[in-house]
Amino acid sequence: MSCLRLALLSMLLLLVLGVQANAFAMTFEETPYFNDLVKAGKIDPVAKRLPQQPRVIDLGALGRKPGVHGGKLRMLMGSKKDVRMMVYYGYSRLVGYDLNYKLQPDILANYDVEDGRIFTLHLRPGHRWSDGAPFTTEDFRFTYEDVMLNKKLRRGGLPNSMLVNGKGPKFTVIDEVTVRYEWDAPNPKFLPALAAPLPLYLTYPSTYMKQFHADFIGKEQVEALAKKRKYKHWRAMFIRLGRQNRPENPDLPTLEPWFNTIAPPSEQFVFKRNPYFHRVDSNGRQLPYIDIVEMNISSPNLIPAKTGAGESDLQGRYVSFEDYTFLKQSEKRQGYNVLLWKSAVGSKVAIRPNLNFKDDTWRAVMQDARFRRALSLGINRHEINMVTFFGLGKEVADSPLMQSPLFNPEFASAWASHDPVLANRLLDQVGLEKRDDDGTRLLPDGKRAELIIETAGESTVETDVLQLITDHWQVLGLKVFTRATQRDIFRSRLKAGNTMMSVWSGLDNAIPQPSMSPEELAPSNDSQTQWPQWGLYGMTGGKSGIEPDLASAKRLLLLWQEWQQSRDDETRERIWNDMLKLYTSEVFSIGTVNSTLQPIVVSKKLNNVPKEEVYSFQPGSYFGVFMVDTFWFQDGLGSD
Amino acid sequence: MKMTSPLPPPGKEMGHYVSEAPFDVMSIEKISPEQEKIYLAPQWKLMWWKFRQHRIAVWCGVFLAILYATIFISEFLAPYNIQTRNVDNIYSPPQRVHLIHEGEFVGPFVYRQNYKLNMETLKREYTKDTSKVDKIRFFCTGDKYHWWGLVAMETHLFCPANGGELFLLGTDRLGRDMFSRIMGGARISLTIGLLGVMVSFVLGIVIGGMAGYYGGWVDMVVQRIIEVLQSLPSIPLWLALAAIMPVTWSPLVVYFGITVILGLLDWTGLARAVRSKLFSLREEDYVMAAQLMGAKPKRIISLHLVPGFMSHLIATATIAIPTMILGETALSFLGLGLRPPITSWGVLLIEAQNINVVALYPWLMLPVVPVVLVILAFNFLGDGLRDAADPYK
Amino acid sequence: MLRYIAWRITVMVPTLLMISALVFAIIELPPGDYFESYVAELQAQGENVDLKAIEALKVQYGFDKPPVERYFHWVWGMLQGDFGYSFEYELPVTDVVGDRLWLTMLVSFVTIIFTWLIAFPIGIYSATHQYSWGDYGLTFVGLLGLATPNFLLALVFLYLANLWFGTSIGHLMDAQYFNQPMSWAKAKSIMEHLIIPVIIIGTAGTAGMIRRIRANLLDELQKQYVITARAKGLHPFKALMKYPLRMSMNFFISDIGSILPAIISGAEITAIVLSLETTGPLLIRALQAQDMYLAGSFLMFLAGLSVIGVLISDFALALLDPRIRLQGAHTK
Repeated sequence: MSCLRLALLSMLLLLVLGVQANAFAMTFEETPYFNDLVKAGKIDPVAKRLPQQPRVIDLGALGRKPGVHGGKLRMLMGSKKDVRMMVYYGYSRLVGYDLNYKLQPDILANYDVEDGRIFTLHLRPGHRWSDGAPFTTEDFRFTYEDVMLNKKLRRGGLPNSMLVNGKGPKFTVIDEVTVRYEWDAPNPKFLPALAAPLPLYLTYPSTYMKQFHADFIGKEQVEALAKKRKYKHWRAMFIRLGRQNRPENPDLPTLEPWFNTIAPPSEQFVFKRNPYFHRVDSNGRQLPYIDIVEMNISSPNLIPAKTGAGESDLQGRYVSFEDYTFLKQSEKRQGYNVLLWKSAVGSKVAIRPNLNFKDDTWRAVMQDARFRRALSLGINRHEINMVTFFGLGKEVADSPLMQSPLFNPEFASAWASHDPVLANRLLDQVGLEKRDDDGTRLLPDGKRAELIIETAGESTVETDVLQLITDHWQVLGLKVFTRATQRDIFRSRLKAGNTMMSVWSGLDNAIPQPSMSPEELAPSNDSQTQWPQWGLYGMTGGKSGIEPDLASAKRLLLLWQEWQQSRDDETRERIWNDMLKLYTSEVFSIGTVNSTLQPIVVSKKLNNVPKEEVYSFQPGSYFGVFMVDTFWFQDGLGSD
Repeated sequence: MKMTSPLPPPGKEMGHYVSEAPFDVMSIEKISPEQEKIYLAPQWKLMWWKFRQHRIAVWCGVFLAILYATIFISEFLAPYNIQTRNVDNIYSPPQRVHLIHEGEFVGPFVYRQNYKLNMETLKREYTKDTSKVDKIRFFCTGDKYHWWGLVAMETHLFCPANGGELFLLGTDRLGRDMFSRIMGGARISLTIGLLGVMVSFVLGIVIGGMAGYYGGWVDMVVQRIIEVLQSLPSIPLWLALAAIMPVTWSPLVVYFGITVILGLLDWTGLARAVRSKLFSLREEDYVMAAQLMGAKPKRIISLHLVPGFMSHLIATATIAIPTMILGETALSFLGLGLRPPITSWGVLLIEAQNINVVALYPWLMLPVVPVVLVILAFNFLGDGLRDAADPYK
Repeated sequence: MLRYIAWRITVMVPTLLMISALVFAIIELPPGDYFESYVAELQAQGENVDLKAIEALKVQYGFDKPPVERYFHWVWGMLQGDFGYSFEYELPVTDVVGDRLWLTMLVSFVTIIFTWLIAFPIGIYSATHQYSWGDYGLTFVGLLGLATPNFLLALVFLYLANLWFGTSIGHLMDAQYFNQPMSWAKAKSIMEHLIIPVIIIGTAGTAGMIRRIRANLLDELQKQYVITARAKGLHPFKALMKYPLRMSMNFFISDIGSILPAIISGAEITAIVLSLETTGPLLIRALQAQDMYLAGSFLMFLAGLSVIGVLISDFALALLDPRIRLQGAHTK
């Protein structure tokens, strides 16, 4: 499978390169949407709007059909904050992932990496922002020197992915289309950060943003402007108006395929096509095909109903597997197809003992790998799969999916069989051999082994799975109590060490590549539910939090640090494998079922949406890597 | 009318007649035995007579009494335990109870059902197998349970046939029997209203009583507090109070916490009623009479005033119970009330609150039926009580 | 009368102060603050959180100061017409509430009318035909709306309306009319979408209204003057309409104050389910996210509405009925 993919990929690369060389010879076809504007002389014709070397997408090579312009894509969202989804769906990045999750230049014409530490980025000459202003290395300079290094605008200093051993890069502008970032040591985090769903932004539209910057228009003027626009001071204004990961400012120029035209508060966001977008199809049609994307905000629990009523043309968010039957029922009447993609988390529901739990006895027990293994062996994954997923999921540990090159059956099956006998034996070994009258085990200090599992109370699947697990663990002599809270309370209790065990989904990135950071497997963040305090330690480089005192966790931290110093993918792959092996054999996260299905509702008129794919936030940016700009409506007409 | 007897001729004395019969001074206002019964009846009896006139209220009272009786033995009445899962019977629709099989009377039974997963829509489809008759067993052995957490028992009023299933109201997404869950949920939902009303009752009487009795600045302060509480919508108040309940509380404590919250915000109406009743009753003649005869305030309040408005209060409280029951469902909806694995009607309804249930599994909305019935019953009962509260009308 | 008005207005001041303190407590009491929920949410979405920036935000909005100080700051701001800033929307509160207020008023107004239209005839019929099957039946119908949990009813109605009439699900208008100027088509769309919320919110309040009309009318009907009128041979209809009905409407005036907050508050859950563009969902969301100034100012606004409502109804009653005026001054 992956061999075939590699072959395909190399063919594709050849094709793309070949076509790109011919790009100058291409004739471009004007988008009907802009006909009038072009005729009136308001904007340039398409050939002049595109960069000199547009990115040519050969749809045939991707197994897709070239399409026609036009139409309006309707989507439903559950909160006004979801306006950020457009940054994921648009997925226009300096460097982005292709369909095989390999890095490739997108906005950039090209990039070179020397020694894993010197990154030279080449822009496309003639590339412009959505307002027509040129996109040049000045944008990079402005962003790095006047924003990122500006202590007033960035109190936190440089973002993590730009720091190597606490130090930032040396930045050089080489010419109008070439910039260089240079670190003393390798920085493998840099390129994945550029390709992430929430990318590291190296460029602000400098022409537009300078008018809100104190260094460019003077302190007094900028404060007066801030006051006029109802901001407390200019910094707030600058940050707010320049926020690219939440396209709320209709005036902010962008490099994405569509730009927002409506400022919040609103129940609807309308995104219109970017006249200067840098991708074209091989027929010389500028992408995106679809003119307008309309996001309607509704309440999350109504979205399945509205989708079922045909009010969305492309919906994956807020519809879940439980809605499949309902959606399927009105499929014919409403003119859409329900596709089933794979949900890309390491485990749909994962239970994590908190190794930083306050209680000494419990913490000692939970830090014992045998205890965690026993819990994992005690779960009847088959029943969970049958009851909640019709047996369509995979009954495995919290580990990567088969679609990942790092998949290994050994990781997937680590302590994931149902073996209550062995589980009971393991529990006896960790010092829980004494039992109360009703068969509940007793801790070494005489307390009853009553597990309290906390959930953020957001999904019924979690509650259902917990119900089943409660019974499974009863057999082991462990009593389970579940407690539903709310997300913020859930988090703050975890961080304070008040939570004994918690439920969340498994690995966020379940289709990892060696080039992606394995930070999830190591104590690297205080939001990690199995070791929040160790995570804080890893995140702050030891400034706060608690140093891991468990050998295996220490080792994971070391491995992660080693990855951060790595220069090539072979080393990274070895580190990933070591970490996955350790993580799964130590059962830091107790997985249940993965590869569960995610319904994707697609209008029958919408072409080029892949039939079966992996639906992921990390690294896929949901629909992003599948290039929504290449989706098109039959006859160029939307559903209404 | 035409005069028939001619007057005596002018100048003559008019005829004089004196009745010899003894005169009964009471004859004008003579009361019939029925009236006498009414006049001599104590107040509660009068109320009962008046209450009886409201036929629906009487029936509702009986209905509620039976319902409250069932919560003592709900495990016995339900064929399954609340949490018993039947993973082979997920989303089973309600089964119909038959009496006659192929023209022959066999007593209450259900037909065995077969399950097939429709791979196209992933819908679980059930078909009836009319050749297999599952007779319902009575006073039988079924799921084990601890009656009120104390006595281990396994006897149920009725159970499915051995090897068969019995889902009178269908099953949910884990194959749990809805009928059993509704029965189990009744225990929490019905008591939450009562306890909540008790809290608000005590608060209302004490605070309203103080305002009415002391008057002056106490009254002034109480009035303002009531005004403040009533001027805010109740949901934000619930939200705030529910949010300060520590999440570490055990379900039982949360349950009591919620009753207290519901009660805490509901007393204002009662307090107002108590206060105004006290004010008006204070002016009644019989109070004046008692005062003139030297009765102490304590005696006046407890003997003369309280009985005067108690009946009103009870009626008001009865009507407040439904608000509490609905309040619990609203809190659950907002994610702040009871949560699974606790089972109340509110929790059941929240689980039914999605489009799949409405479109595909409507029987999961059945908990709405007892909620509606109970609320209606309480309302009619309350109406009847209120009409009866002032029997002298 | 003037003295009464002056006295009544002075009393309002402590009430409003107490309300503001209570409101502040409501938004302050839950553990944590907006920034904690904000961080939790960002992290759940996989964003890296700049803790220093969050600290800076906290200082900027005065969260490093003690609650009492913030309370006075907030109250002082409101007195000057500054209702604070919504963290979640990153906009001044007035801008966030903006248009929603008008739609809320529209929904409330139509709902009140709907309630009256239903409650009046039923209430009058029930009072004049006490204990008849008609009385029971109509009261039953009135109560049904009260007894069904709104959130469930709303969803069922939505589904059926879509299935049978093709009405688009939820909201107060079809999606194409958002951000459009008012037009005939938009008005029509709004009217169509009003039906379900009005029925659901309205029926919940109808039962109470019916009951009050019935009880008040029953009281009046038993009075001597009605009996006299009937004895004089006045037509029953006229004997009902001319005085008893009018007298029993007194409660109506005293209700003005509570009616608006009650409807707005009763409508919150329905509005969430139906995803209406009214203020209810905004308020609940603000409370849950601890977007405190938005929630606080909005609650204050609602409370203010009802306090003024009570004031107006007190004046109206005092004007209509001198006894209340005297009694009010006497006992209060």
